[in-house]
Amino acid sequence: MRIPTMMAAAALAVSAFIAPASAEDGGAELLVRLCGDCHSGKADSLSRIDGQRKTPEGWLMTIVRMRLFHNVDVTTDEQQKLVRYLSDTQGLAPAEAAGYRYILEREPGVVEDFDQQMTEFCARCHSGARVALQRRTEEEWALHIDFHLGQWPTTEYQALGRDREWYKLAMTEIVPQLAEAYPFETAAWTAWTAARKPDARGEWIFITRLPGIGETYGRFTVSGEAQPYTVIGSVVGQNGVWTPMQGKLHVYTGYEWRGSVNIGGESFKQVLAMSADGSVTSGRQFFTAEDALGGRFTAARVGGRPIALGVVPSTVAAGRQARVQVVGTNVRLSSIGGAVTPVNAGYNQYGVDLTVNTTARANGLVRVVGDGWNTTFGVYSALDSIKVEPPFNIARVGGGGGRTDKVKAMFQAVGYLAGPDGRSGTADDIRIGEVPARWSVEPFDEVADELEDVRYAGAIDGATGIFTPAVAGPNPERPFSTNNAGNLRIVATTGGTSGSGQLIVTVQRWNDPPIR
Amino acid sequence: MKNLKPLNEKAERVKRAAAEDKMDEVRAMQTIVAGCAATLDPGWEVDPFGGVAALCQPMEADLYGCSDPCWWPAQVPDTINSYPDWNANADGAAKDWRALGTVFPKDSDV
Repeated sequence: MRIPTMMAAAALAVSAFIAPASAEDGGAELLVRLCGDCHSGKADSLSRIDGQRKTPEGWLMTIVRMRLFHNVDVTTDEQQKLVRYLSDTQGLAPAEAAGYRYILEREPGVVEDFDQQMTEFCARCHSGARVALQRRTEEEWALHIDFHLGQWPTTEYQALGRDREWYKLAMTEIVPQLAEAYPFETAAWTAWTAARKPDARGEWIFITRLPGIGETYGRFTVSGEAQPYTVIGSVVGQNGVWTPMQGKLHVYTGYEWRGSVNIGGESFKQVLAMSADGSVTSGRQFFTAEDALGGRFTAARVGGRPIALGVVPSTVAAGRQARVQVVGTNVRLSSIGGAVTPVNAGYNQYGVDLTVNTTARANGLVRVVGDGWNTTFGVYSALDSIKVEPPFNIARVGGGGGRTDKVKAMFQAVGYLAGPDGRSGTADDIRIGEVPARWSVEPFDEVADELEDVRYAGAIDGATGIFTPAVAGPNPERPFSTNNAGNLRIVATTGGTSGSGQLIVTVQRWNDPPIR
Repeated sequence: MKNLKPLNEKAERVKRAAAEDKMDEVRAMQTIVAGCAATLDPGWEVDPFGGVAALCQPMEADLYGCSDPCWWPAQVPDTINSYPDWNANADGAAKDWRALGTVFPKDSDV
């Protein structure tokens, strides 16, 4: 059975959109009162502020900088209201932020790919995404560079600054480049300000991966008359155990979803983006106190169009009966194709509860298909290769009585089949999905071996793939009392197959804003 | 080398390396990290070889050489303009590093 299209459309029209609410809470007046002593003009055209658009985190960092560097007296509540007002009225359209969400999501181990000019002038100190998530007038980009030189005056005599006419090049080449790539006025922002905004309130079904636990799914409700909304729901693990989930949700710029939820006593942050039609919200959920540990998080609105989010577990070992949960909303099963025999399929509040039989030598993807949706899960008896994800990651020493915590690193093992050509590492390899593995650490190269990085830099949990670095501070046991840094090869082994990634264990950072 | 006298442990090691024909193993810092630069390639985190063995380590020995003249401002609070009192209670980083705090306020989130 399927829900008639007309009914689904009607449900969307009723519940998925809200009228934009930007200035109604006095944001404009607050901006003038708190910022107008230094910034001249009226509420919608305060100097400097009126030529910029940013993400919520971008505006937060600006306000915090004004507090710390210029002694602006702002309460936490006022700061929250200012971030909301500025993000709603001078934010980024979904399409403008889409390519750089990894920095908002605090996704670890991302290697950026900006052009050489942008890398040399901006992305030597901070991420390129920090720049690309701003929109400014050409005049504002020029003032932004002047601000950098005034605040950090040694810029001009550091490497790639002292060896050329840095300021002249910054003004004549970089400013026009930034103004063209990231302009203040865009069709995307004009369209988004005029568009109907999705309403986060309602019922959602989600799928995610919890650090140290693995793939999970669940359901939650967002409710409330005003923001922050209330989030109440539950998370279901692969063992069927049900854990309550509750928290608060702010939505900025009509789609920037920032949730703070408690799951089984652990505090998580959600940095997600709602789709323009309000049917999906997706991004990353991570520990509030340890943002390196988290997982992709995707939720579909209950009552909307049919959406399959995935299957938990996403892989099953062959040769036995397996019960999996197809997670989705409005999913009605049509067919199952692949190396399994369906035994039973029943609908529950998370999608389809599916039981299948697999033969001992089954290997491949199982395609689960319904009307307007499809998804897959993997069955394996013999994997041809294992890839470690992410292939490169960073951990940081910490603790030891210092004020910076250890920054852990998390890895996953992903199984592959060689594909039609019978060779691993080629384009036709078939990704089966995450598989259980045993984890170990080796020196990455000869230097790491000589310096005994494996001994000093930390340890990996053999079952979960979570690496915990060693303590911060000089270590008198190491040459020249060097830190417990290290260059490590992270190895995942399952059956007779193994794969590896690289982990840099490095020193702490004391400047750690939401956008790095 | 006959007119140069080693003054510290590292210099003594260089002298020994020269005597043992192992100068290829000596890495002079100024040629590797290009005199220290506010750059991520090499960076605060990773050295120019993609490892960590050629970072300025222990980092604490040179930390105030980063914060005072505003090197690595995205990772290390600069004490020129932005955070003049960041290391006010930690005269020597090698022994006082535990007193150094993070600078983005914990009460600020979206």
